[in-house]
Amino acid sequence: MFLRLVADSFTRRPRRKLLSMAALAMGMAVATAALSVSLDVGDRLAQEFRSLGANLLITPQADSLPLEIGGVDYRPANAGAYLPEADLGKLKTIFWRFNIIAFAPILDVPVQADVAKNDAKIPMPQVQLIGTWVNHEVKIPDGTTYVTGIETTNPWWQLKGGRWFTETASGRVPEVLVGEKLARSSGIAVGSELHLLEKASSSSIQPVTVVGILTTGGPEDESLIAPLSLAQAFAKQPGMYRRLYVSALTKPEDSFARKDPKFMTPAEFDKWYCTPYISAIALQISEELKGTDVRVIRRVADGEGNVLTRVRMLLWLVTFAALLAAGLAVGASAAASVIERRTEIGLMKALGANAALVGVLLAAEQLLLAIVGGGLGYAIGVFLARVLGERIFGFAPEPKLFVLLVILGLAAVITLLGSAFPLRKASRYDPAPILRGE
Amino acid sequence: MSGTPMFWRIVRRLLTANYSRLFVILLALGAGAAVTSALLNLQIDAKKRLTTEFRSLGANVIVAQRETGSENANGSTLDEALMAQLPSVHEAKPVPAVGFLYVIGEVAKEGAPHFEPAVIAGTQGHGLTEIRPGRRTEYFASLERDPAACEVGAKAAAQFKVHAGDSLLLRNQGREEACKIFAVVATGGAEDAQIFASLKTTQALADLPGRLSLIQISVTGTPASVNGFISALSNSLPGADVHGIKQLTEAEGRIYDRISGLLSATVLLVLLLTSLCVMAGMSNVAVERKNDVGLMKAIGGSVRRVVHLFLTEAILLGFAGGLIGSAVGLGVSIWLGRAVFGVAARPRLIVYPVSVALTMITSIASAFPLRRLASIRPASVFRGEE
Repeated sequence: MFLRLVADSFTRRPRRKLLSMAALAMGMAVATAALSVSLDVGDRLAQEFRSLGANLLITPQADSLPLEIGGVDYRPANAGAYLPEADLGKLKTIFWRFNIIAFAPILDVPVQADVAKNDAKIPMPQVQLIGTWVNHEVKIPDGTTYVTGIETTNPWWQLKGGRWFTETASGRVPEVLVGEKLARSSGIAVGSELHLLEKASSSSIQPVTVVGILTTGGPEDESLIAPLSLAQAFAKQPGMYRRLYVSALTKPEDSFARKDPKFMTPAEFDKWYCTPYISAIALQISEELKGTDVRVIRRVADGEGNVLTRVRMLLWLVTFAALLAAGLAVGASAAASVIERRTEIGLMKALGANAALVGVLLAAEQLLLAIVGGGLGYAIGVFLARVLGERIFGFAPEPKLFVLLVILGLAAVITLLGSAFPLRKASRYDPAPILRGE
Repeated sequence: MSGTPMFWRIVRRLLTANYSRLFVILLALGAGAAVTSALLNLQIDAKKRLTTEFRSLGANVIVAQRETGSENANGSTLDEALMAQLPSVHEAKPVPAVGFLYVIGEVAKEGAPHFEPAVIAGTQGHGLTEIRPGRRTEYFASLERDPAACEVGAKAAAQFKVHAGDSLLLRNQGREEACKIFAVVATGGAEDAQIFASLKTTQALADLPGRLSLIQISVTGTPASVNGFISALSNSLPGADVHGIKQLTEAEGRIYDRISGLLSATVLLVLLLTSLCVMAGMSNVAVERKNDVGLMKAIGGSVRRVVHLFLTEAILLGFAGGLIGSAVGLGVSIWLGRAVFGVAARPRLIVYPVSVALTMITSIASAFPLRRLASIRPASVFRGEE
């Protein structure tokens, strides 16, 4: 009988119920879309921020002071310390290995480059040869390989022509890239052949082919960019590099992350170590790569942290506002549907139903409405979140079961709350005046 | 016809006959209006604030000598007088600019016999956080005003085993200067290995009075406005090379576009769905007016007049709900701005009429199902038939 009453109220007034359901579905769709996007956006934006480049710089611990101005190290090649390239696979074995999205070692060495043209040689001033990785396969100690390089750590390094160099086998002519300004001032084009010499006076000539023109907007525009192995040969430092840039996905630093790990309790330290804070990742790297100095590039890490924290907060606010508005509107609709059923309530009470039974009956109706409307709203919301995610990040957020549960729970709470006040009033109606139509 | 006292009397009775219903309707409309105005206001404000937040990335524009030779660090320099030609304000935001002169000199801790080469950067003024963001690990505020004081990068401080309060000797080609360290700064970049001395000291060391290696500028604004600043500045300084730091300008542009797109889309979505939601809720309320309509028609009210009545009611309700809700929303957005950006969002007056108008439109649109009431036959209503 109870179920029949509930079912009846749906079939007898389909239009009314449909409107309530529409209000509910719309509200819950807003909530679902906003919630899905908010849950997902932190990760997507953190990824986006990696276009700022590396956020960790690794240098040898026992190094002489770098004489670096505008990105060029003016130290002679034999000064200072070096780090072994062979260790770099260990970067992908740290606790947060999947957060390390790219790394590239750098070794720069001054060389004399002559343009070879029709057997004649056009001498050029000394230039910096920057040795690094491009699409380099790194062997990870667990037996797999990982492909990374400067084009992912420094995405603003862009080709103006040609292609990236590939690492050629020894014995073949190595490939290099030429910085945009250098190419313009010395008339080098893709396909040109250069003769590299250690010094103007040295006799061993290394021929190389130019395969691309690079533009970076920095000092690299006036340099040669070559495979790391070539720079190592010129610096006479086989298997070594001088600087390593690491790009890692991190969690913005909060006040907990700024505490000095030395003064943390063991439990705090575990929590800190197992959170992808930039400082925790820096510590894990220095544990793997012995004798290194891992420094956080503050301008990148702090800038990213600031913006991310604010945007995340902003989106949560929008989500909350959406939930609030949806809740109020749905509540209003629920309240209205109870008010207009006074006659029915009066009749039920006249036939002997007590206040509790009337309340339970109406609440059951509202709950049924909440589940159907909430489910529908969830479906619409997932679709909207997908459209939104694809338009903005080119990546749709995965529908999460967790969101569905939150939405259904929310729909139930809102409709019950919205109808609670009028229901209470309704259960106290005196049937006689209502049935008389007063 | 709709201006008669009778008409207004009926409208008044329609509104005040049932206070709990009036409250429910105003709540729904007001909530919608509050969300609308809060989000609109916050969104305008947030986009402006974001560009300010980006400045924690440091300088994004560099002025240098045209055709610098990279082979010589002490080479081509700029005239210090250029600094005076830089605009101090861009789009009502101050434009901090700092001149740098770089010298590769020799440095030692006072009293230590051994000198080591290091980059000495001469800068004007202190407090350069907006130009080169970093963290001061040691700091003596009392020394900061001393013109001969200098700041040392973390790596250089470790190398020379010095701390804030110690003195350094700087030497270049026979010229020597001393400076007292007031801060040790960690940036993670090349600055960590540099010594920041006053410009005068460095110019004296390099024997380049009145010269600068480059000027770093931090411009606040959207990517397009920063590019505008760069091209305007390079036109007004024909002898100098003005360029954006590609690493920052490109990434900033990209991230700004994403975030502002995300915000606009979310806000639009929320507004749209909120108004639909309010509309659906309101329609539900409106449909129960069937009895009133039946009665009006029974005593001879024309369909047009009845619809007029309900439209007037909807407009009044929308106006009242909009006025109250939007005001609440603006207040909320001021508070939210403080919560998110630490600065209260400035209420923008344009938001108020816009959100009131939107609420009225929603309210009128939700009275639309009433059109169907025109087909109601009074007799069947009174008999209690659906």
